[in-house]
Amino acid sequence: MDLKFTAAEEAYRLSCREWIAANAHHAAAVAKAADPVQAARDWQRRLWEAGYVGLAWPKAYGGQEASLTEQVIVSEEIARAKLPPLINTIGLSILGPTLVLHASEAQRRRFLPKILAADELWCQGFSEPGAGSDLASLTTRAVQEGNDFVVTGQKLWTSLAPIADWCFLLVRTDPSAPKREGISYLLCDMKTPGITVRPLRNAGGGVHFSEVFFDAVRIPQENLVGELHGGWKIARSTLDHERSGLSGVIAMENSLERLWQQSAAGGEIADAVARQQAAQYWIEVEGLRYLGFRALSDQLAGRQPGASASVGKLFAAKLRQKVARAALDNAGPYACLTKKSPHVVGKGRLVAGYFDSLGYSIGGGTSEIMHNVIAERVLGLPRSTGEA
Amino acid sequence: MDFELGEELVALRDIARELLAQRWKAESARRALDTPPSRMPAELWAELAEMGWFGAGCSEAGGGSGLGVIGAALLAEEAGRALLPGAMTSTLAGAVALDRNGGAALKAELLPQIIAGTLPVTLAVEEPNGTWGPDRVAMTAQAGDGGLKLSGRKIFVADGSTAGLFLVAVRVGDDVRLVPVAAGAGGMEVVPMQRIDAQDIVELRLDGVQVGVERMVPDAGAAHDAYAVWTVLVAADLLGSAGAVLAMTTAYAKERVQFGRPIGSFQAVSHRLADVQVNVEIGRSLLYAACLALDERRGDAGALVAAAKAFIGETAVDAAEAAVQLHGGIGYTWELDVHLHLRRARANAVTAGDAGWHRETVARHMAHCYA
Repeated sequence: MDLKFTAAEEAYRLSCREWIAANAHHAAAVAKAADPVQAARDWQRRLWEAGYVGLAWPKAYGGQEASLTEQVIVSEEIARAKLPPLINTIGLSILGPTLVLHASEAQRRRFLPKILAADELWCQGFSEPGAGSDLASLTTRAVQEGNDFVVTGQKLWTSLAPIADWCFLLVRTDPSAPKREGISYLLCDMKTPGITVRPLRNAGGGVHFSEVFFDAVRIPQENLVGELHGGWKIARSTLDHERSGLSGVIAMENSLERLWQQSAAGGEIADAVARQQAAQYWIEVEGLRYLGFRALSDQLAGRQPGASASVGKLFAAKLRQKVARAALDNAGPYACLTKKSPHVVGKGRLVAGYFDSLGYSIGGGTSEIMHNVIAERVLGLPRSTGEA
Repeated sequence: MDFELGEELVALRDIARELLAQRWKAESARRALDTPPSRMPAELWAELAEMGWFGAGCSEAGGGSGLGVIGAALLAEEAGRALLPGAMTSTLAGAVALDRNGGAALKAELLPQIIAGTLPVTLAVEEPNGTWGPDRVAMTAQAGDGGLKLSGRKIFVADGSTAGLFLVAVRVGDDVRLVPVAAGAGGMEVVPMQRIDAQDIVELRLDGVQVGVERMVPDAGAAHDAYAVWTVLVAADLLGSAGAVLAMTTAYAKERVQFGRPIGSFQAVSHRLADVQVNVEIGRSLLYAACLALDERRGDAGALVAAAKAFIGETAVDAAEAAVQLHGGIGYTWELDVHLHLRRARANAVTAGDAGWHRETVARHMAHCYA
């Protein structure tokens, strides 16, 4: 057990740092590009071609099979350079690991490399108007007709839907079975006829997610992942992957540094309450970082993240909200201004960051559900929902 | 880089958990509240020495098992879980501190006795100044014909009534140095202080205690390093205590039926326990990181030790308070073990620096990093 880096690992870090220094301007250019989506795809592909995307994935599908150390080094260097998140993050963090575990060999070869290269952007079709925290009660129907599933229903809170090329979704294939046993996991080309995407404006004013309507959409049977009616277990492992990893730590480190710079004069925060608060956030970010190291070590040893990933998800959401709120509090009276105000501080990023933070305890499983998962699956307490 | 406990460490932890559960009952910790201080029987102390535990954190060259601070911390965690008297943890801290900072002569003389269990050792740092740590040490060592002369008071000295050796922090010029002083030295008086969990802490009154100059631990950073090791072991003890009350309360929530259901099925109960579980896991991650940072003498070791102690101290108190509350009326009784952990956690939370004090160390580290 150690935190040391060997000479070879230090050399790896150096080459990563040099590569980022030489290429970071491509990432910075994305926001100003004429076609920002294409520019973001190009940036991800560039990063992947250099070997810095898909570190944990098998080499056979374009991954690196990197060690914990290499994953840590890359995440640290990306944090250091403050690079933006990758555009295909949903495909990378959720679908990819799921396909590695549950998909057929043909499906892995077909889909995984294109996730890494951002040739195909993915969105997730899980939640529905009547199926949020109680996801298993979803009603989007898929009926088998010939070699196709015919899908009808509505999905909600689908991030990136307007630009996504593909969608992985949960559908009900057996309405007569108990609700967790009649669900299947499908991959759907977003260009298929019958799909309508309607973007939704969120509470912060941004447009990040959409409603997606499926009207007799035909999905070939070869796009079924795993067994028919076996989608719930697959989705559950997907959620565990969504909840683990180091990426959240990087974002929070950067927010915390901004918070410090915002309140510090001459290197120190004079106000004792603000100083103690900032220190507490540093402690919690470090806690999350080393929790992430433990989770990655587990995964490398062949153990699934499982329910322990919920620990990180729950803690990270709360921490993100505390940091965002503290940043807003620091702005004093200016915290009430929109980004269009001539008096606004921080270009309006503080308000945006605050609203943004509130979504983290809802998306990917609410904090209330995370509490249930930890209570039931980690501590072994009896179910609170009265269901088996 | 490898952030998993290796086989040797896992084995040490498992053996410690099993052995302490058999050899030390919470009942003894409860009885000690009426007849303080809490002390382990000589046979148990001898058995721990026999197991080689006092040298767990020492290098192999120093006669130990070379498991590092992390090895010592896993033992301290089990001590906290078992409500074991603190002497083992104090001795572990002293042994590791000497092994890391002592000169060859001191180590050759002292470490074999400490590891063999014949010389229990403890740190004497705090003074009656209302705060913590080596930086505020005022006790001086006057150089004279007979060597150094130590005068003044040390308080909150853990396990001082059974220690055979005190590692006393004294100010020498701008530095704070560590001086080993044998128990019973002329001019030394040991006065018990009463801790809320009956753990043995004492006031050490020194009146011209003579020590040879050559006895001073050579490394000028030894006092700070020893204090950091002690701090992380207290944090480990707190984590063990938090784990114990969490397990106790979880088990109770599965059994106790009200309104026709186990109370653990009510979210007001289960979510509070889930929060404790989250904090225990974050605390464990910080503890391991702090231990490894000390073992590798990393630049951020001081900040990580402070982070671990601040976070785990608050976690352990929260966990014990939750345990009292979720057990209901029975949780508020003398008979249940919960208050024993609450007492230990409350006391250890303000031992080797409280959370606010450690957050100031973290803030200095942040100022340095973000400058």
